[in-house]
Amino acid sequence: MSDYVLGISAQFHDAAAALVRDGEIVAAAAEERFSRIKHDSALPFRAAKWCLEHEGIRPDDLAAVVFHEKPLRKFERLMITQINAFPRSLEAFRRTALSWFPDKLWVRGALAKGLGIDARKVIFSDHHLSHAASAFYTSPFEEAAVLAVDGVGEWASTALFDASRNGIERLSEIHFPHSIGLVYSAFTAYLGFQVNDGEAKVMGLSSYGQPRYVDEVRKILRSSETDGITVDLSYVTYQHSATQSFSARFEQLFGPARSGDARLDITTPEGRRYADIAASLQAVAEDCVVDLANGLQRQTGRTDLCLAGGVALNSVINARLTSRTQFKRVFVHPAPGDDGCAAGAALWAWNEVLAGRRGPALTRPGLGKAWSNGEIAKLLADLDIKHTAFDDEDAMIASVVDDLVDGKVAGWFQGRFEWGPRSLGHRSILADPTRPEMTERINRKIKFREQFRPFAPAVLQGHEDAYFEMAPGTELLMPWMLGVFPVKDGARALLPSTTHVDGSARVQSVDDLANPLFQRLLIAFGRATGHPVLLNTSFNLKGEPIVTSPLQALRTFYSSELDVLYLGNFRVINTAIGKHFYE
Amino acid sequence: MLDQSNPFTMLRLVSWVVWKIPSRRPLKMAGFSHTEAGSSLDMMDAAELAPTASLRKKYFRHALDEFRHSRLFHERAIALSRGSHAADVLEDAEYSASHGIRGETSLYERLGETEFLAFVWLHERQGARQFGLYADLMKHDAASSAMFAEICADEEYHVSYSRRELDRIEIQKGPREVRGAIRRLRLRRAREAFLRTSHGFGHVMAGLWLTVIYFGIVAPFSLAGRRSAPAAGLVATPGASARARLEYEVQG
Repeated sequence: MSDYVLGISAQFHDAAAALVRDGEIVAAAAEERFSRIKHDSALPFRAAKWCLEHEGIRPDDLAAVVFHEKPLRKFERLMITQINAFPRSLEAFRRTALSWFPDKLWVRGALAKGLGIDARKVIFSDHHLSHAASAFYTSPFEEAAVLAVDGVGEWASTALFDASRNGIERLSEIHFPHSIGLVYSAFTAYLGFQVNDGEAKVMGLSSYGQPRYVDEVRKILRSSETDGITVDLSYVTYQHSATQSFSARFEQLFGPARSGDARLDITTPEGRRYADIAASLQAVAEDCVVDLANGLQRQTGRTDLCLAGGVALNSVINARLTSRTQFKRVFVHPAPGDDGCAAGAALWAWNEVLAGRRGPALTRPGLGKAWSNGEIAKLLADLDIKHTAFDDEDAMIASVVDDLVDGKVAGWFQGRFEWGPRSLGHRSILADPTRPEMTERINRKIKFREQFRPFAPAVLQGHEDAYFEMAPGTELLMPWMLGVFPVKDGARALLPSTTHVDGSARVQSVDDLANPLFQRLLIAFGRATGHPVLLNTSFNLKGEPIVTSPLQALRTFYSSELDVLYLGNFRVINTAIGKHFYE
Repeated sequence: MLDQSNPFTMLRLVSWVVWKIPSRRPLKMAGFSHTEAGSSLDMMDAAELAPTASLRKKYFRHALDEFRHSRLFHERAIALSRGSHAADVLEDAEYSASHGIRGETSLYERLGETEFLAFVWLHERQGARQFGLYADLMKHDAASSAMFAEICADEEYHVSYSRRELDRIEIQKGPREVRGAIRRLRLRRAREAFLRTSHGFGHVMAGLWLTVIYFGIVAPFSLAGRRSAPAAGLVATPGASARARLEYEVQG
């Protein structure tokens, strides 16, 4: 009988469950994929129950259920912070009390009851330790320095570790409210985007600007290799406010904040100002992470770096770490945010509490639920949806290539859904990146999102150098689409719809280990066009989680102007564009 | 039951007052957008689990309609907002979660087939009346009025298919099955309304008590024990990982 450990992250944002069998992640999913509430923070019982179903085990079979952090220590931080901020913290105090006393303080009991297990099986990791474990124990490194940077966990906002066969040793940490993640989120709110969701938009917006406000941003966020980072707290309010994260002084420094419902037009002076502020923030945040990484490298002497925490979703920073530090290689877990803490908590417990043997490195992103061709066929028949069925995958792939070459935008639903926030060829929207009209078409008519949002290229492994200026030691970022690289001069005109305005692209490389079917599609597309590259974006509409089931794929399909949908070995054409589906 | 033909019914009066206030309109639209999005999720769950192809198809169409309505309300809220808080409401995922549209199990699983259909029938009938009335009241705003009329037509279809399904169940299982389901549902709605009111009242009272506690207890702590500003920069943590390994059972 194998040993199973279930990891749980919840109660802030991006709740998730991950099941580890003998040191290897065998099933993992964010709760939002099942509940359909984006960034769902509730205890992830739907995801956890699916993980157990997937392995065919009962709750009693679990050796342990590991919560990703120490809730009482987090509560202590909230209370002390609010006491210190009296009398400005009344609203934050009321909100904290109303959410923690009836609910969040009783995690052990809630998990035991919800999962049907003995409460003694529930154990607790530490937030940044969970982040660090998610990166180190899924990396191919025997030993590495680990840097975990996010908003805040219990007390720490950043933690530095040295990891080896002996486990993960915490060397030092930076405490709340000094936090790169929270300052980035304060700017996110200032720029009119939603905190914990719009940070990627700020990163995308930064490409349109010039870093003219670096000195101003450095007044708020300073860093050095020896002392870490420091925040000037007179510019931020997140330490005592539940609703506002930047102060009046912040607005005096940068001008009026952008209203969330105002259209962001980068061609206007006001729009350019916001883009310049985003670019300046991006530059300073990068300097901060580089300083932390350099300090950690000097302290540990390691040549490999694991980066974890929400800040590791900043693909621009990730890609520059090997060229700006002494590290030779960098690895980021495919779910570096709080969802990944579920995997990290379980891996930490397996390796360090249960003293299990370390499992293999993570090579494939598809750790979620799958639907068989038989189930899809029944669904299409039930809904009376006209479709074409292919006898085999080769015929299906040939049809996808024909559609893409023909200029169609395709929904691609294949196999198990991805672990982490990126669509990596299991639940994707695909298009021909050589067609310049695709960016506007997909943003406006399919995903209904901002025009400045870029799209990513998926490239067949081995062909990256033909199109992109890869930095040495960043290969391990590529399978998870977690690095942004310059597109080579000659390739920018070739790939107009996946080349961002600043000439960069967030590249995903695909091999037969990570996703064999998607790799075959890229090979076939390359044979047809001469370029084994596809535009790959997540299969969802703005504000929604990525689709999970075939039915959700169909709903998204018929609610947008996607041309064609490949559900397993079935092809469905969108006859409903611009009218009611059943008319 | 309210008589729509009577212009002085309570519903018409309240609706007239609500829609008369321009600043309320985008917020109402944003609220409807969330409600319809929640209904779309409930109908998707039902379509995933429906026992027959016929029901599955109807639930799926219903889900598509609700999603489209959500988008229409969303766009109208944005068009009417002009700097109000509607955009914040629309973007706020917590708002969706706190409006109780999801639980650990789906509405369909909790209610079962007959009660779920009764739920759809009752709610859509109420929605059709409500949106029909709004289409009438919003004549001065042609775009909003047309939108309400379009949505109302869909709601009427939802009323008719759910009623037909209930009639089918009546024939198969007898009228008591459906009447019982509707009665249970009405009781459930009354109970939920009571719980919502109690919860709201409790929330207000808890807020008041917490304010008293804040000024009565937190204030002295703050004055007596105010800590110096948190240390900035790196703090060494020798032995932290070893402690974590030993203290895995401890919550804090």
